[in-house]
Amino acid sequence: MKSRFLFPHWCRYVGYVLVIAHIPVMLLRKMISFDTSGSPINNSLLSPHHLFFMTTTLLMAIGLFLAAFSKEKVEDEQILQLRLDSLQWAIYVNYVLLIVSLIFSTDTQHILFLNLLVPLVFFIVRFQWKIFQNNRLLRKDENPS
Amino acid sequence: MKNNIRIERAIKNITQAELAELIGVSRQTINTIESNRYVPSTVLALKIAKVFDKPVEEIFMLSEED
Repeated sequence: MKSRFLFPHWCRYVGYVLVIAHIPVMLLRKMISFDTSGSPINNSLLSPHHLFFMTTTLLMAIGLFLAAFSKEKVEDEQILQLRLDSLQWAIYVNYVLLIVSLIFSTDTQHILFLNLLVPLVFFIVRFQWKIFQNNRLLRKDENPS
Repeated sequence: MKNNIRIERAIKNITQAELAELIGVSRQTINTIESNRYVPSTVLALKIAKVFDKPVEEIFMLSEED
């Protein structure tokens, strides 16, 4: 069975590097409080603030995207099934969170940000966890001690 | 769905890894099929049957809950 629309396996590592590289940049931004919104200049399109936000968020989103949708070492129908299952879970979780946050919060910017992160992060964690479980069961089966 | 891949493998004297190699899937997939945690597609079932040179029904059979 052929899996379509997936990146090569090495893209996963590029993705992880981008996501990890994004964390110190984000912390730095918070520390030097570059993130102060409110002044009218900050909210205009292509202002330094907007450009900074755009590039860092884009880097993180691309990183997550690459990490989530790259091929496994052996792509077969069982992996395909796991991927599909995990995607369904990720969408469920995302929509539950989205609905809850829409009811209890009016901070639309953070809701948007959450919505950007949750599906991909949940998908990656659930998918990798299932693969880890399969590997563990395989090892147990091979050396039953 | 039940299967007797484990028995057939013992008769033919091949490991999970060798069977996986023969039909082009991962060892994990063979393992999950053997332990009834994954139901293979018809294509994969036919490939497995071909390796053991037996009809599919002799390797895979319906269980009560199917």
